[in-house]
Amino acid sequence: MTEVGDPRPVVAVLVSVVGTVGILAAHRRPNLREAVTLSVAVAKFGVVASMVPGVLAGDVYVWSLGRFVLDVPFELRADALGILFAALASLLWIVTSLYSIGYVRGLEEHGQTRYFAAFAMSLSAAVGVAFASNLVVLFVFYEVLTVATYPLVAHDETMEARAAGRKYLLYTIGGGVAILAGTVLVYRLAGTVAFTPGGIETLAAADPALARAGFALLVAGFGVKAGLMPLHSWLPDAMVAPTPVSGLLHAVAVVKSGVFAVSRVVLDVYGPETVGSLGLGLPLAVVATVTLLAASVIALRKDHLKRRLAYSTVSQLSYIVLGLALLGPNAIRGGLLHIPAHAFMKLALFLCAGIIHVETHTDHISEMAGIGRRMPLTMAAFAVAAAGMAGIPLVAGFVSKFYLLIGAVEAGGASTVFAVALLISGVLNVAYFWPVVYQAFFQAADDHDAKPVVEAPFGGRRASTVARADGGSGDEETDDADDANNADDPDADPDVDPEEVGRPDFGGEAVDRDYGEPAPRVEGEYAVDRHPSDHTVPEKGDADGDHEVDAGADHDDHSDHDGYSHHGGPPPGGWERRGWLGDESTWFMLGPILAATTGAIVLGLVPSAAVFLRLVDTIVEAVGVVG
Amino acid sequence: MTDGLLPLLVAVPVLAAVVPPLLSLRTTGTGWYVAAVACAVEAALAALVVRSVFLGGAVRHVVGGYERPYGIELVVDGLSAPVVALVAVVSLGVLAFAYTAGPRRNSFYSAYLLLVGGLMGVSVTGDLFNMFVFLEITGLATYALVAADRSGRSAVAALKYLILGTTGASLFLIGVGYAFVETGTLNMVDLSERLAGSYGDRAVLASFGFILVGLGLKTAVFPLHTWQPDAYSYAPDTVTTFISALVSTVAAYAIGRIVLTVFTPAFFEAVPAARAAVLAFAAVSILAGSALAAVQTDIKRMLAYSSVSQFGLVIAGFALVTPDAVLGAVVHLVGHGLMKGGLFAAAGVMAARHGARTVGDYARLGYRSPVVAGAVGILGVVLVGIPPSVGFLGKWYIAVGAVRAGAWPIAVVVFLSTLLTLSYVARLLERLYFAGPTEPTDPAVGAGTDAGTGTGADADAEVGARDPDPVADGGARADSRAPAAVSTGMVAVIVAAAVVVVALGFAAAPFEAFLERFLGGVFA
Repeated sequence: MTEVGDPRPVVAVLVSVVGTVGILAAHRRPNLREAVTLSVAVAKFGVVASMVPGVLAGDVYVWSLGRFVLDVPFELRADALGILFAALASLLWIVTSLYSIGYVRGLEEHGQTRYFAAFAMSLSAAVGVAFASNLVVLFVFYEVLTVATYPLVAHDETMEARAAGRKYLLYTIGGGVAILAGTVLVYRLAGTVAFTPGGIETLAAADPALARAGFALLVAGFGVKAGLMPLHSWLPDAMVAPTPVSGLLHAVAVVKSGVFAVSRVVLDVYGPETVGSLGLGLPLAVVATVTLLAASVIALRKDHLKRRLAYSTVSQLSYIVLGLALLGPNAIRGGLLHIPAHAFMKLALFLCAGIIHVETHTDHISEMAGIGRRMPLTMAAFAVAAAGMAGIPLVAGFVSKFYLLIGAVEAGGASTVFAVALLISGVLNVAYFWPVVYQAFFQAADDHDAKPVVEAPFGGRRASTVARADGGSGDEETDDADDANNADDPDADPDVDPEEVGRPDFGGEAVDRDYGEPAPRVEGEYAVDRHPSDHTVPEKGDADGDHEVDAGADHDDHSDHDGYSHHGGPPPGGWERRGWLGDESTWFMLGPILAATTGAIVLGLVPSAAVFLRLVDTIVEAVGVVG
Repeated sequence: MTDGLLPLLVAVPVLAAVVPPLLSLRTTGTGWYVAAVACAVEAALAALVVRSVFLGGAVRHVVGGYERPYGIELVVDGLSAPVVALVAVVSLGVLAFAYTAGPRRNSFYSAYLLLVGGLMGVSVTGDLFNMFVFLEITGLATYALVAADRSGRSAVAALKYLILGTTGASLFLIGVGYAFVETGTLNMVDLSERLAGSYGDRAVLASFGFILVGLGLKTAVFPLHTWQPDAYSYAPDTVTTFISALVSTVAAYAIGRIVLTVFTPAFFEAVPAARAAVLAFAAVSILAGSALAAVQTDIKRMLAYSSVSQFGLVIAGFALVTPDAVLGAVVHLVGHGLMKGGLFAAAGVMAARHGARTVGDYARLGYRSPVVAGAVGILGVVLVGIPPSVGFLGKWYIAVGAVRAGAWPIAVVVFLSTLLTLSYVARLLERLYFAGPTEPTDPAVGAGTDAGTGTGADADAEVGARDPDPVADGGARADSRAPAAVSTGMVAVIVAAAVVVVALGFAAAPFEAFLERFLGGVFA
C-alpha cells in the first residue's frame, strides 16, 4: 500500500459544495438549476471513479489541509473502504438526481431549490465521511450530513414532517454526542484517532474497560444512523420525506454513513483482533441479529409501503453490522459487499414506491392490488429488487448473503445461530415482499385477498373486514352489524352506541393528532370529499394540506395508523392497463428505476466484474484478517 | 516599542468619550462619527498589539515608570490577546450596525466609548484593584446603555442590573481587600508569588470566594444571572448586541485571569474543594441555563438564558485548569461573543422588519428574510457545536481537557450541553423554515383561535396583544427597542459574523500559538 499525495479526495468533496452554491444562485431558473445538479453529480462521480483503478492497484490517495485540532490533521484519504462508499453514493446520486427532477416536478413540490441544494450538500458530506482519515474529520462530516439532511426530512412542512425532523435531529445529534465522547475517549487512550487498517496498536494495549466504553459509545452513536435497535425509530418516521430522499439518503447515504462508520470503527480503529479480544464482537452481533429479525417482523405488519421498506432497511443494515461483528474474513466480505448490494436494491424499491405515489397517489399496500396493470415496468423492477432483498440468486443480495452465511458457519460454535437467523430473515423477507408483488400482478382491485397480518389485530380476534364475502370471521362474539363499526377498534365498549358518542378513535395504536383542533368526526368530511379529484389530478399543495387533515380523520381499515394519510387507491373501475414501454410514467423516473435494478442484477450475476467485490477484497486484505 | 500602545488602548476610547458631549453644544448627530474614528484607531492599535504578542510573546507596560509592586502594570499576553481582538472587532462591528439602527444621540456614543475603554481596561490590566476600577467603568457605562431607549422597562432592567452589578463589584472589592491584607500587594504576578504557600489560609480562601462570586455576578452564572435576561431583553437591540458579545465575556475572562494568573493551578491542587465548587457552579449553570432557555418564548430572553449556559462552559474550561480546557475556554469565549452578537443583531433586524419578537413570530421568516434567516441558521447551528465551526472547536477542547483530567461528570455535562443547546436552537430553526403556512403563529394564541384563521389576522392579533413596553417618553415608534430601519450594512454585519464563526473553526492553530507561551508559563 503506497500513499500518494493527491487533491482528488478534497475535490470530490468540494465539487458539490460548489454545486450547492450554484443551485442556490440559480433558484430563479429551474432548468439551469437542474442542469447544475446533474453536471455536479456527474463530475463528482467522475472524480471518484478516476481514483478507483489506483486504489485497486493498492494506492491510497491522501491530501492534508493542515492541522485541525490538537495534533489531529484535517486530512482526506481515499482508501479502498472510502472509495467503496464514495463511489456508491456518487453513482447513485446521478440516478437519484434524474429521478428527483421527475418526482418534484410531477408533484409540483414547493421549496425545490432548498431541496436540491440540501441534497447536494448531503452528498458532499457523505463523500467527506467516506474519505475522512480519522475519527475527528469523520465526525465533522457526519454532523454536517445530519444538518444538511434535516431540511429534506422536514421538507413537507406539515406537523408530521416537523415532528419527524425534530426526532431525526434529536436522535442523530444525540448519537453525535456519543460519537464525540467516544472519539475523545479513544484519543485519550491511544493518543491518536487516525484510521489504521487492522486497528490502532496503542489502543489494543489500553485499559480494557475504557476501551470497551469507547467502543460502546462509538457504535451506539453511529448505530443511530445505522438503524440498530433500539435506536432506529427515527428512520420510519423520516419516511415523510419526499421519496428520492428516502431512497438515496435513508437507504444509501445517511444510513450507510452510519454503517460505514461502524465498519471504520471495527476495522480501522479497534481492528478485528482487538474487538475480538475485548469480547465486543458477540454483543454487537447479538444486537444486530435481534434488529434484523425484529425489524423484519415489524415490516410484515406495515401497510404503508415506504414504512415497510424502512423497516426492511433497518433489517438489512443489520446484516452489514452482523457481518462486521462476526469478525471473520468472509463475514466481513459479505457485510461490506452488502453495502452496495443493499443500496442498489433498496434504491430501486424506494424509487418504485415514489413513482407509484406520483402517478397514482397510492401509498398503502392494501390499495395496490392489481397495480401491475397500471405500472407494469415499475412493478417488475420492484419484483426483481425484492427478490434480491430476500437473497434469491442472480440478484445482488444473494452474493452478499452467501458470504455472510459462509462467514457465520465458519465462525463455528454458537455462531451457527447467526446463520440460522440469516436464513429465517430471508424467509421473512419473502413474506413481506411477496404479497406486494403477487397482488400487483395476479389480483385485481375489486377482487383480492384479505391481508390478515396487516389488518387484523395481533392475536387474530377478528378477521379481515375486506373479505366478508365468506361470512366474516370465525369469532363468535362478532355479528356483522357490529363488525361494520367496530372492526378496527377491538377495545370499544359494545354497550355504547358508537354513533352517539361521536365515535372517537380507539384505533389500537396511538394517533398523532393536534389537540388544538376539534376532534376528528366520522360523519364529517373525509379528505376525499374535499378533494374529489385527488385520484386523477395532482393538485399543487394537496400533499401538504391533506396530510394534516388526514392525520386525524383517517378511519380506514388499516391497523397501522401511523399518522400517514392516503387518498390513493385504485380509481373506480379498477386500474387501467398501460403498456410495458413506458406509458406508465415519464422516463425521468423509469430510467433511474431500471438503472438501479440493472445495477442490482449486475452485482448479482458478475460480482467480480463489478468493481465492488474487488474493492471489498482489497479492504479485507489491508485489514489483514487471517483467512 | 509596542508596549507604549497599551495605555493608548484604554486612553483612546475614554478620552474620545469626552468629545460627543462637547460636540453636543453645537450638533446632535456627530457622536457616531467620533465613535467610528475612535474605534477604528482602537482596532488598529489592537491589531498592532495582538500582532506583536503573536510574534514575540507578552507585551508589558509599566504605567508612569513605577515598577511593581507599587505601580500599575498593563499586560497583553496570550490569554488576553484574543479578548482584546474581540473587543476591538466587535465594537467596530456594532458601530456599523448602529449607524442605521440608532440610537443616534451624542450621549449614547459617549457611554459606548466609555464601555469600550472599560472593557479594554479589564482585558489589559495586570493589577487587581485596577481591574475593579475598570469593572466599575464597564458596569456604569452598561447601566446607561441598557436604559438608552428611555422606556420604562429598560429603566427597570438597568436599575436591576445596577443593584446587582454593584453588589458584584463590591464583593469583588472585598475579595481584593482580603488578598491585599494577606500579601500587601495588588499586582497579579506579585500576588501569585506571595500567595504561594499560604493557600490554606482562611483569608486567601475568603478572597478567592468573594472575587469569584463577584465576577460570577458580572458574568451572570446561574444562580447569579437574574439581572441578565431583563437587561438583554429590554435594552435597545443595538445595545443588546454589544453587551451580549462583550460585557459578560470580559467578566468571564477576568475569572480565567484570576484563576490562572493570580491563584494559579497550584491553588486548586492545594484546595481541591475550591475547584470542585467552581466546577459544580459551572455545570449547574450549563444545565439550568439551557433548561431556562428552552422554555422561553421571547427570542431575546431565550438567547440571554443561552448565554448563562454557554458561560458555564467557559468557566468549566477555566476551572479544569488543564492546557486543553483553558484553550477551549478561550476559544469558546471568543466564539460565543461573535455568535451571540450576531444572533442578537439578527433579532434586532427581524424585529425591525417583521415586528417579530417571539419564537412564534418567526414562523416562515426564512422565506421573507432569507439572508438574515440563513445567517441565524448558521449561527444557531454553530452555537449547538456542529463542526466545522468555532462552537465545535471550543467544545472539543473543553471536552478533551475534561476527559484528560478525569473529570467525568463535567465531561458528561459538556457533551450533553450539545443536546441541550439543540433543544432551543432547533425550535427556532424549525419555526423559521418549516412552520405551516396556515397555522397559528403561537401555541398560546392557537388554543383560543380557530385553526382556520389566516396568518395575517393572527399576526395582527399577536402584535396587538403584545403591546410594546409602556413607553415612558411617549415615543412614536411601536417598539422602542427595535432598530429604526434596516440597512445593508446591518445585514452585512450579521452575515460577516456567521462567516467568521465558521471560518474560525479552522483556526485552532493560531489560538494554540497564542496560548502556548502563556500556558507554558502557567503549567510549568
